[in-house]
Amino acid sequence: MQGVLGAFHEIDGAVHAIEDLGKHRFKDITVYTPTPRHEFEDVLARGPSKVRVFSLIFGLAGVTFGYWIAVWMSDYWPIVVGGKAIATWVPYTIFGFEVMVLVGGLATVYAMFGLAGLPRLTTTVGYDPRFSGGDYGVWVETTSDRADEAMELLRRHGAREVRSER
Amino acid sequence: MAATSAPVPAYPDDPSRRGQRPNVASADVRLPAVRSYEQVDREIAATLHPSLGWFALLGVAILCMLIGAATWTYQIYEGLGAAGYHPPVMWGVYIVTFVFWVGIGHAGTLISAILYLFRAGFRTSIYRAAEAMTVFAVMTAGLFPILHLGRPWKFFYLIPYPNWRLIWPNPKSPLVWDVFAILTYLTISSTFLYVGLIPDIAALRDKETNPVRRQIYANMALGWRNSDREWRHFARAYLFLAALSTPLVLSVHSVVSFDFAMALTPGWHATIFPPYFVAGAIFSGLGMVFTIIIPIRKYFHLEHYVTLNDIDAAAKMCLFTSLVVGLAYLTEFQIAWVSGSTYEQDYFWNRVFGQWAWAAWIMLICNCVLPLSLFSQKLRRNTTWLWMLSLTINLGMWFERFVIVVPSLSHEFEPWRWSTYAPSWVDYCILLGSFGWFFMWFLLFIKQLPVLAISELKEVLPPKMRHPHVTSSQRAEHGGMANPLMNQPPLGGSH
Repeated sequence: MQGVLGAFHEIDGAVHAIEDLGKHRFKDITVYTPTPRHEFEDVLARGPSKVRVFSLIFGLAGVTFGYWIAVWMSDYWPIVVGGKAIATWVPYTIFGFEVMVLVGGLATVYAMFGLAGLPRLTTTVGYDPRFSGGDYGVWVETTSDRADEAMELLRRHGAREVRSER
Repeated sequence: MAATSAPVPAYPDDPSRRGQRPNVASADVRLPAVRSYEQVDREIAATLHPSLGWFALLGVAILCMLIGAATWTYQIYEGLGAAGYHPPVMWGVYIVTFVFWVGIGHAGTLISAILYLFRAGFRTSIYRAAEAMTVFAVMTAGLFPILHLGRPWKFFYLIPYPNWRLIWPNPKSPLVWDVFAILTYLTISSTFLYVGLIPDIAALRDKETNPVRRQIYANMALGWRNSDREWRHFARAYLFLAALSTPLVLSVHSVVSFDFAMALTPGWHATIFPPYFVAGAIFSGLGMVFTIIIPIRKYFHLEHYVTLNDIDAAAKMCLFTSLVVGLAYLTEFQIAWVSGSTYEQDYFWNRVFGQWAWAAWIMLICNCVLPLSLFSQKLRRNTTWLWMLSLTINLGMWFERFVIVVPSLSHEFEPWRWSTYAPSWVDYCILLGSFGWFFMWFLLFIKQLPVLAISELKEVLPPKMRHPHVTSSQRAEHGGMANPLMNQPPLGGSH
């Protein structure tokens, strides 16, 4: 991985730099920001996260499993209580609901980890500890022949520090 | 009539938006004494340095926990008879305390999930402590059904898994519903707490100078780098976790209430129990939030983060839930009155004017009368009063569960079975041990991990700008830039 990293004190400088990099056909841009900001979402226009798909699929799987395990347990060891049916749907909604939340919730988190590339063993390339403090980072993945152009663009928009990394 | 101060404009730098109020109160309104991201990092990280006072409190908590543990050992050796059970009262302090701690565990997820969905700005400064409180309270609650077992080492029989005994739990039993509900709640609450902590742990990792602590933080942060990709998925996952947790909060105490409502015992067999329990749980949880957050705010000098406005808003919620709980008490009496059941009527008469009157009146005064003081704004903003009130709420809510559990069992259908109940020293020691266990975890938490949410606090601060005085109208004059930067409200006031 080779690219250029620019560190900005101000958010507007970083946003303008990203816009300009886009205009100059630098496609592979990563932004580091201490907090999520609409400004970056708007300018990067990544589209919605796919986490929701996992929440839905695993939530549905969970509710199915929850009902199924309760019905199966009743059927495997039938106990007649109060003359009611062996498998009673109303109370089994508790199992369906709880397992839906459990499986759906855990799947959501694992999906977030998977889609965000976590856990990551190293944070060194293209990252600076200042980006969890107050600064904004713009990492542009580029070849060495265009590195100077990217550095110039970043400096033009107020990057306090620009460096090439690989 | 009290004089009202002039409203602070939400967007002071932008004349075109001066009259607007943002959906989420922005930092210039909410945290006027917090100026920069660096200040947030520095001041929250400063809370992690241990002090003598902290060691002393931790020592007391561990001592209480050890007393509880030693007493439990004694109980296992002697048998459950040591616990003061006296037929027909075979559910005593342990079940009372179990319901109490589950209830305490409700406010955290209410504040972190439900108020997140409602975009309540005051949640930001208090939700981390409340969320940690939830996890530790549910961990404490989970001990009590096990303590209540004659053979506690066989507690895993309640978990459905393929086993050589070929025995499965009975899914029609409310006790099995409890296992599912509470284990799910514990898992999801812990996950929610941890996920929210990841960016903050990464911030601590990047500031930490001690190599051992730095490595621990690095492992816990999972390599988080604050990239836009991470935030994008994080924000969505956090939202979905909040959405999944919201009905969970309501379901867990409803399921706990079924332990009682499914029985035919007078005072228990009522359809009002689920909402009544949920309201009570939130009320008691808010009481414990005040018990915890007010000393933390004072001790760590965090008054400019946990502002009086935040405390005021939470106190209003506490007042509201107190009124709901009061209404539930009245409704119980009204239902008994119109039911035509002499057992119900006699039970409720006995509760208020009979052998358990002392407990019922403690409950009514602590939960319904004293919280009425929160109608006064002056008292809502008086942290000393609020803290003392929170202690009475904790006491009142413990007695609420006592009044539900013990009088019903001691005064059932046949008069010849009527009895009384007195907790033994074993009950008291284990109750003390539960508080020691809870506060031990909480005290360890506040010195290892940030008790306020660093990244969410930063999110309500306005970001640094190169051209801070360019307004949206000026931008429009210049062709309306693609990135509407200036004075944009934060991304949901939180993630």
